[in-house]
Amino acid sequence: MPAREITFGQALNEAHIAEMERDPKVIVFGENVSSQWREATKGLKERFGRERVRDAPITETAFIGAGVGAAIAGYRPVVELMLVDFGLVAMDQILNQFAKTTYMSGGAISVPMTLRVLTGAGTSSGATHSESLHGLFAHMPGLKVVVPSNPYDAKGLLIASIRDPNPKIFMEHRLLYPVKGQVPKEPYEVPLGVANLVREGKDVTVIATSLMVQEAMNAADELKGKISVEVIDPRTLVPLDEEAIVGSVKKTGRLVVVDEDYLHYGFSGEVVALAAEKALKSLEAPPIRVATPNIPLPFNAKLERELLPSKEKIVAAIKQAAS
Amino acid sequence: MSLNDAKTTDIYRTMIRIRTFENAVRRLTKEGRIPARFGLYTGQEAVAAGVSAHLRKGDKIGSTHRALGHLIAKGCDLDKLMAELMGKETGFNHGKAGPYHTFDPSVGALGANGIVGGSVPMTAGYALANQLEGERNVAVSYFGEGGSNQGGVQETLNLAACWQLPIVFVCENSSPEVQRMLGHEIDYPQLSIDNVSKRAKNYGMPGSTHTGWDAAEVYKAAGKAIRRARAGKGPTLLEFKVHQLEGNLEGRLEANEKERQWDPIDLLKQKIPRKVDEQIRAEEVAKVQKAIDFGVKSPEPTPEQAYTCVFKEAD
Repeated sequence: MPAREITFGQALNEAHIAEMERDPKVIVFGENVSSQWREATKGLKERFGRERVRDAPITETAFIGAGVGAAIAGYRPVVELMLVDFGLVAMDQILNQFAKTTYMSGGAISVPMTLRVLTGAGTSSGATHSESLHGLFAHMPGLKVVVPSNPYDAKGLLIASIRDPNPKIFMEHRLLYPVKGQVPKEPYEVPLGVANLVREGKDVTVIATSLMVQEAMNAADELKGKISVEVIDPRTLVPLDEEAIVGSVKKTGRLVVVDEDYLHYGFSGEVVALAAEKALKSLEAPPIRVATPNIPLPFNAKLERELLPSKEKIVAAIKQAAS
Repeated sequence: MSLNDAKTTDIYRTMIRIRTFENAVRRLTKEGRIPARFGLYTGQEAVAAGVSAHLRKGDKIGSTHRALGHLIAKGCDLDKLMAELMGKETGFNHGKAGPYHTFDPSVGALGANGIVGGSVPMTAGYALANQLEGERNVAVSYFGEGGSNQGGVQETLNLAACWQLPIVFVCENSSPEVQRMLGHEIDYPQLSIDNVSKRAKNYGMPGSTHTGWDAAEVYKAAGKAIRRARAGKGPTLLEFKVHQLEGNLEGRLEANEKERQWDPIDLLKQKIPRKVDEQIRAEEVAKVQKAIDFGVKSPEPTPEQAYTCVFKEAD
């Protein structure tokens, strides 16, 4: 497929358009989705009408629940949550109803809704506008958790998510929105559960998600010629491509996990546990986690940077793992 | 629209079916054949029966953790319902749902719900789907006066009005005189007003309060609201005052005249010829007995089934 350069935000917009054209059951709602300032949903109302593209009041419980209901009733809602932190007011609908209904109904019910969520720190927005929280959602049974890191994956993963018959939480780091990349014009799927080998290497495996994939690549570039770094982007946390992670750890014997989510009880620990359970004998050094410590993110930019994973921290971790 | 004789008989039959089924559930729970106790609907039968008398298959309901009346009135198969309550493989949800999460999409019974007020936002979604389909189907969202305070319920009243959804909110207020919570007296009130329906005005929809043990009144009020929703004129909040009656009424109520006046079956029975009443009761007892036999004979799920249905395979 011939590709051209567009942004992450434009790629998401194209995915919406492609699926809404293909399937009349795809509907979109959320706060301000009809406005031109919401890049992912820009122009959808004009193109598909106000029945299928609706602004919702700032009541996350009501409109996420309505999405769950519409999905149960046969639609494929794509519901936008302005920031993941705001989803915390709607946890019953997300974690009890959205995630569990398929199982509780013994498979009688499908909930093919995609909950699109903006995430991420680095904008000096403080502790309730900066979180990642993918580990929280991945912890609960029943949700597929999608964490795109580039425009190509954003489009393909969103299309695959909308077509998947299960509950998905699709987590978009807002600093990725202006990032450009090569994206085919045609619709395509990036399958859920297949990791991306972003960079091949032989000395150290780095597992990174979302915005941290680019940070990991920057670190690998800096170490070029000294340490050969393999970078893997799982792309989805649920389902997790365990084979890709374990295979790489077996090859390199050294593991660094980079995660913008909180350190404790999270994705970084999950990957280290996976390596311990399935590749212990291959490990030549203790795995290292570069993640945000369990501290609410502060407003001050210097303080915020202090807590977040960075290229420098990743470089140091890779060096330590390789030593 | 007032009740004609045929409708009266239909509604009465539904109420008897619910009462008979729940009395059996009481007994089976005591005997340990249903593994857990849960909230029953005794005393409230006129609400589900009177509302459902206006509903058709394409209409959808969202219910509560006191769901049996709503499910039965919407037309759920009694065999599969009883098997589900017994946790059997042949239940609607293969023993994974139990009383709090029963789903029967074949009749639009889209869920009992274990969270107070939890089904209400979802039911707005059923209404949204109906609105988009354009078939003039509606949704009915059941909750109690306790649930009415939940943020999600308040939010959904607003959303339904903003989107002019074809939905009827049915609040069954089971504390019509003294405010109670989970059947117990409370020191501080949980409602700041006497009638939940007063809140309707603030959300831009009609609201009214009715005697929930009078099937004719329920039928009339529900008919008006459901016709309004079908016509695309938006949501309504109905409140029905009810008394939850504990225990097997056949024995206990005779000693309690005060409670007896709140029994919707006793009230409607006056309009049913004795022979018809006897026939309905006999038929419903037989149906419930068949459901019990079906449930008892059904196999348990296998341990492997604990692992299935977390996710669905792609179509």
